[in-house]
Amino acid sequence: MISKVLIANRGEIALRIIAACREAGLATVAVHSEADRNSLHVRLADESVCIGPPYANASYLNITAVISAAEVTGADAIHPGYGFLAENAHFAEVVGECGLTWIGPPPEAIRLMGDKATARRTVAARGVPVLPGSPEPLTSREAAVRLAEEIGFPVILKASAGGGGKGMRVARDARELRHAFDTARHEAERAFGVADVYLEKYLTAPRHIEVQVMADRHGKVVALGERECSIQRRHQKLLEEAPSPALDEELRARMCDAAVAAAAAVGYVSAGTVEFLFDNGNFYFMEMNTRIQVEHPVTEAVTGVDLVLEQLRVAAGAPLSVRRRPRLSGHAIEFRINAEDPDTFAPSPGEITELAFPVGPGVRVDTHIYRGYRVPPYYDSLLAKLIVHGRDRQEAMARGRRALSMFLVGGVKTSIPLHLRILADEDFQAGRLSTQFMERFLRQS
Amino acid sequence: MFTFEELCALIRVVSETRVGGVEVERDGVRYRVDGIPPTPVVQAAAPPATMAVGPALVAPQAAVAAAQASPLPAPAAQPAAAPVASEEEENLTYVTSPIVGTFYRAPNPDAEPYVKVGDTVTKGQVLCIVEAMKLMNEIESDTSGVVVKIYPENAQPVEFGERLFAIRPA
Repeated sequence: MISKVLIANRGEIALRIIAACREAGLATVAVHSEADRNSLHVRLADESVCIGPPYANASYLNITAVISAAEVTGADAIHPGYGFLAENAHFAEVVGECGLTWIGPPPEAIRLMGDKATARRTVAARGVPVLPGSPEPLTSREAAVRLAEEIGFPVILKASAGGGGKGMRVARDARELRHAFDTARHEAERAFGVADVYLEKYLTAPRHIEVQVMADRHGKVVALGERECSIQRRHQKLLEEAPSPALDEELRARMCDAAVAAAAAVGYVSAGTVEFLFDNGNFYFMEMNTRIQVEHPVTEAVTGVDLVLEQLRVAAGAPLSVRRRPRLSGHAIEFRINAEDPDTFAPSPGEITELAFPVGPGVRVDTHIYRGYRVPPYYDSLLAKLIVHGRDRQEAMARGRRALSMFLVGGVKTSIPLHLRILADEDFQAGRLSTQFMERFLRQS
Repeated sequence: MFTFEELCALIRVVSETRVGGVEVERDGVRYRVDGIPPTPVVQAAAPPATMAVGPALVAPQAAVAAAQASPLPAPAAQPAAAPVASEEEENLTYVTSPIVGTFYRAPNPDAEPYVKVGDTVTKGQVLCIVEAMKLMNEIESDTSGVVVKIYPENAQPVEFGERLFAIRPA
C-alpha cells in the first residue's frame, strides 16, 4: 500500500503525476529547486520541499536531498517521472533500502537495459530481432573493420553505456570506420565514463517505432500498441503519433509480442518502452526506456488506459487492470511545444506574458505553464504537450492544425509554427516518415 | 473555528509550558501559537516563566492558504514587544540550511544546545545539526557575532535555503 507520493521531478510531468495521484486518492509531495519556487507543481501538490539551488545537479539530481525530503514529509513512495533520476538504478535501490516504494521498474531491470550491449544480448536470447552487429564491446579497430565487412557497410558505432546520440558514429567504408572508432570511444568516455563501443548495421532511413509495455508484480506483461516517433531532430523527438501509419495488424502483433518478450526477459515491472528501428517491413530492437515517457499520452488517447494511474496501482501491488493488448481507437498525435526559436532551435527562456490553450473536441494539453510564469534557463525547454485525437489520421491532423493555431503563447518563442509547417508537408501528410525526415524538411525550408 | 475561550486556553498552554509553539487546524483554518524564547539579554539568570511569555502570537490563516500551505512553516513573526531583534533590523546575517533535512539544536537529545539566543559565536563554530538520510551535518556559522534569533524548533524539518539563525555581526 502507498498513501503519500513524492514526485522527484518538475514541469508538466510533475503535474501529470499529481493528477493521477489525486484520482487515486493519494497525497502528494512536490520537491523543487530555488528556481521553481513559483511552479505549478509546488502549488498543486499537498506539500512541497525546496531541495536545492537551481542547477539540477544540486537539486533534482541530488539523491540525498530527495530521500531526505521524503523522510521529513513522511512520503512512502517516490515517482521519478522521466529524465533526472528516472533511469538511475542506484537511486531506485536507495529508495527501496530506505523502505520507500519505487514507482518504476526493479533496479536490476534498469541496469540491464541501461547497458546497451547487455540489453541487446539479453533480448536476442529471447528471440527478439536485433540489428546484425557485434553483441559485445569491440576489442580493437581492426576487429570493428572485420565485422563491418562481414555484415556490410554502412555501419554505426554506439556507446555501450550511451544514449542521446553521444558516442554514435556512422561509417560508410573501412577508412571512415577506422577514424570513427577512436572518436566514438573518446566521446563515449567523456559522456558516460566508459569508452566501450559496439557496432551495428546502419539503416539509412528507418522509422523509429516504439511499443508501450506495462507490467505488474505478478509476472503479467501487456503491450499497449506502438507509437511512431520518426520525427526527430538530433535524436530529440518533436512529434509522435499512434498508431504508426507503417504497421498493419499482423506486424503490430509481432512487434508487440517482441516487446513483451524483451520486457519479460529482464523481469520488468511498471511502464516501459521498447524502441525498434523499422525498415522495409523488418524491425530490430534498439533499446528499452525504463520509465514513463514524454509521449505516453498518445497511447493513452488510443487505448483509453491511464498509464500513470496504472503505474501507481502496480506499485501498490495490484494486478494490471488491462489484461490483454487493447484495440486501438482512432489516431492521436502529440506536438511538443518547446520554448525555442522555431527556425534556429535556440532556447527561448523568459516570462509567459500571454497564454490561451486550444479548445474543442479531441484536444488535450499537458503543461505546467501559466500567464506570468517565468521559463527558467536551467532545465529542458518543454513548455507543453498538445495531444489531439481523431477517428483517423486525417481527422487527427485537422484537429492538430486547428488546435496549434488556437494555442497562443506570448513572451517566449515556441515550436508551434514549426509544427504547423510539418503538418503542411506532403510527405508527413502521406505518412512517408523516417528518422531522416527532419533533416530533409529543414534543408528544404 | 475555535472559540475565543479555546484560543485563550491554547495560548495559556503555550505560555505555561514554554514549548516553542503549537499549530492546529480546524475546519480548514490553521492557527499557530508561537511561544517567545527566553531572552537572556544582560541578566545571567533566566527570567521567570511569566516574563518569558509575553504576548503570544495567534496567526489564523485563510482556508485556501492552508490548503496550499507547505508543511514547513514560514519563519515565525516576532511579536513587536519582544526584547529581541526584529526581522527588520538591518545588518543581520542569516545562516540558512544548505540541505533539506531535520534541524537539531544539540548533538544528542540529552545534550545542551550548541547555541542559545544571546550567545556570542565565532566564524566556523557549529550552530546546529541538519540530519539528512541518517547523516548528521554540522552547520557552522559563517560570521562572528551574536545569535539574535533561532528560526526552526528543535527536530523540525527544514528546507534547502531556509533561515536557521540570525546573527548580528560583531
